[in-house]
Amino acid sequence: MALAMMEVGETREIRAFHGKEEVKRHLQDLGFVKGEHVQVIGENPSGLILLVKGVRIALNRGLASQIIVA
Amino acid sequence: MSYTIALAGNPNCGKTTLFNDLTGSRQRVGNWPGVTVDKKEGTYKKDKEINIMDLPGTYSLSPYSAEEIIARDYIVKEKPDAVIDIVDGTSIERNLYLTLQILETGVPTVIALNMMDEVEARGDKIGAEKLSETFGVPVVPVVARNGKGIQELMEEAVKAAKEKKPPKKLPIFDEKLQGAIDEAKKLLEDAGESDSEWKAVKLLENDENVAGQVTEELKKQIDGIVAKAYGPEADLEAVVADQRYQYIAKVVKNAVKKGTTGHVETKSDKLDKILTNRILALPIFAVIMYLLFACTNSENFLFLGINSPGIWLAGIVESIWERLTDLAAGVLGGASPWVYSLVIDGIMEGLGAILGFIPLVLVLYILISFLEDCGYMARIAFVLDRIFRRFGLSGRSFIPLLQGFGCSVPAVMATRTLESEKDRKITTILAGFMPCGAKLPIFALFVSTLFADSNQTLVTYSLYIFSIVVAIIVSLLLNKFVYKDGASNFIMELPQYRIPTLKSILIHGWEKVKGFAVKAGTVIFVSTILIWFLSGFNFGSFNGTNAAENEDGSVMCEMNDSFMASIGNVIAPVFKPLGFGEWRPAVGVVTGWIAKENVVVTFAQLYDEDVTDEYLEEYFAQYSPEELEELGFEGGEYDAEAAGDIYSESVLFEGGDENALPHMKDDIKTKAAAYAYMVFNLLCMPCFAAVGAMKRELKTWKETGKAVAVQMVTAYVVALLVNVAGGLFL
Ligand SMILES: Nc1nc2c(ncn2[C@@H]2O[C@H](COP(=O)(O)OP(=O)(O)OP(=O)(O)O)[C@@H](O)[C@H]2O)c(=O)[nH]1
Ligand SMILES: [Mg+2]
Repeated sequence: MALAMMEVGETREIRAFHGKEEVKRHLQDLGFVKGEHVQVIGENPSGLILLVKGVRIALNRGLASQIIVA
Repeated sequence: MSYTIALAGNPNCGKTTLFNDLTGSRQRVGNWPGVTVDKKEGTYKKDKEINIMDLPGTYSLSPYSAEEIIARDYIVKEKPDAVIDIVDGTSIERNLYLTLQILETGVPTVIALNMMDEVEARGDKIGAEKLSETFGVPVVPVVARNGKGIQELMEEAVKAAKEKKPPKKLPIFDEKLQGAIDEAKKLLEDAGESDSEWKAVKLLENDENVAGQVTEELKKQIDGIVAKAYGPEADLEAVVADQRYQYIAKVVKNAVKKGTTGHVETKSDKLDKILTNRILALPIFAVIMYLLFACTNSENFLFLGINSPGIWLAGIVESIWERLTDLAAGVLGGASPWVYSLVIDGIMEGLGAILGFIPLVLVLYILISFLEDCGYMARIAFVLDRIFRRFGLSGRSFIPLLQGFGCSVPAVMATRTLESEKDRKITTILAGFMPCGAKLPIFALFVSTLFADSNQTLVTYSLYIFSIVVAIIVSLLLNKFVYKDGASNFIMELPQYRIPTLKSILIHGWEKVKGFAVKAGTVIFVSTILIWFLSGFNFGSFNGTNAAENEDGSVMCEMNDSFMASIGNVIAPVFKPLGFGEWRPAVGVVTGWIAKENVVVTFAQLYDEDVTDEYLEEYFAQYSPEELEELGFEGGEYDAEAAGDIYSESVLFEGGDENALPHMKDDIKTKAAAYAYMVFNLLCMPCFAAVGAMKRELKTWKETGKAVAVQMVTAYVVALLVNVAGGLFL
């Protein structure tokens, strides 16, 4: 499912990213690698606040729906 | 022999804090990723032979935005003698990802484990020795904010720079990948490339920048290696990233003891629940912005009926300046008329006009620094993302725009952190619309002179809102008709909230005042003299005509005959439709391009005439007897003796403002025209310093010219609308 569908408090594993190559690279550099756990710790109309590798990262909803988790 | 040591690390890990500590400078520190956008050199306080280079933060050596390119290029191309890699101990895994890449480049490296105070407060333990053993480079725990461990760090760094020993090779990648790297490396070495290890990995990762540096032939061969080992569709980049992170996970497991397992809710998380809350976030932001301006520029602070801190301080500065002027006037009593005129009417009057505003700008600046230092900036950028997206930008653009409330130059530079070129171009234009500190005096002067009978605070606020509304509309139009590629993504790390130190806030304030003093002493000072000269002299001053005509033998002329009037009269017709087609306001617009403070300086010098009896008579002639009675003339009859008092009490200075320049009313007759004038200055081309910054960001003069043209056209159209619509409704 898409990361954007996750609820606050949920933790899931990153599977894939469907989007531009350079964005994918940037996300990887930030710790969004396949198999990594992400937890949603906040949510508002702009998007989600995620916890990845112990760091809080905010993503807009459009981008979050390009990240596939399981 | 001098050495250069560069400070590298993730954004917001404390590089600039360390830089300031090492060099004694006062570069901008702020609690959000992307504060530093350019490299900055300084010398080590304790050893002048050592140069320290502060770099923008970067998450990896494959840059994503413009400022990251600067950091990468410096490390791999200019090659410092050593790098201090600053690692934020509170997010060590993510930070070590860059560390591995820096070590790969072969540059002598020392690791600074920063934020150790926060690490300890969390109850985490980081084994510096274990890390040092693993990586084969010194690892020094430090607290950049209070200087702990810095001495030892520098000793290690200097040693590394002198020894020039590249770090050892780490067993990061598995056999298959390492095999491919070695093959690529061999190809590179045969082709005579240096830094082959690092380049080999980047080429396998398909890094465009590095790929651009090698021949097509080589690139093809390397693609061949990848295809052979991983198949033609392979995404080696993901494999490399994955293996790096796996290696780090092992290292961290071995060297770091977490105080708690899993994620516990921190204070920052709790604050985020409120400040980024889906319902509360925007109202809270609105209140904060309101407070920002209420503290700065309000004569009814928080509805308490008192002056805001900014206005209060301004009053003190003004009264001191007045005394100084009186003193100077006394000393110069016997000097020749033109010297007296230059010093008192020119310099003192001109500088005095803006001096009183420094406290306003200072208070505004201190409050903005508080927002920047506490960690709120990243949050509000995120919260506003949804709104900015509607008009085609990402929420990140908010950061340069807010900085634009202080000064356009750093605002324009901050556009570098925006990821898409479209966002950068548009935000550069919009930054010029923001009511920077130097425009504040224009509003204050106009409001106190021409809106004396209106709600002055409201008029000032309305201009702030105006700038934002115009920015939104222009962005919408540009997105609709010029750039059509939609809003870019929002990806931003949200740092820990931190309580700003009093010291750092005071330093920001002081830097601002100092910057202003320098500007006042140079650009504005020269401008005052120039304005004084151009407005007091004409050709007659030099061929003896004036001296012969004037009773006192002075070579100066009437202002209306001066050079300035001649110049102004040429431009003035352009502004006629906007309601201020006279030479004085026209000249104000032009001097404002040198520095926006000059608008007020110019006005102060050009409208500095006493209110004469003739003027009063002429002025009151416009009123009917009933109106005159209402104004306070007994029986509705003009009375020369009472006129002066009535003029200053009921006509202009209801707020009791002695800064007002009554003669402005002669040229700018209606409120609509006055508002149009403020709007024009708010939106038109920013000062030359800001245009220079625009050129640096937009690269070419052609692009810069286009951006300035958009600003000019916007200013003209909007001011025209204001004047016309205002004429209909007011
Ligand atoms: N608690 C604590 N905070 C620190 C320390 N060092 C830096 N900070 C804070 O961390 C934040 C970021 O500091 P900067 O020096 O601006 O970071 P930077 O690495 O230059 O950031 P960019 O220029 O954005 O890449 C500021 O709020 C600092 O006050 C430290 O040792 N301890
Ligand atoms: Mg910095």
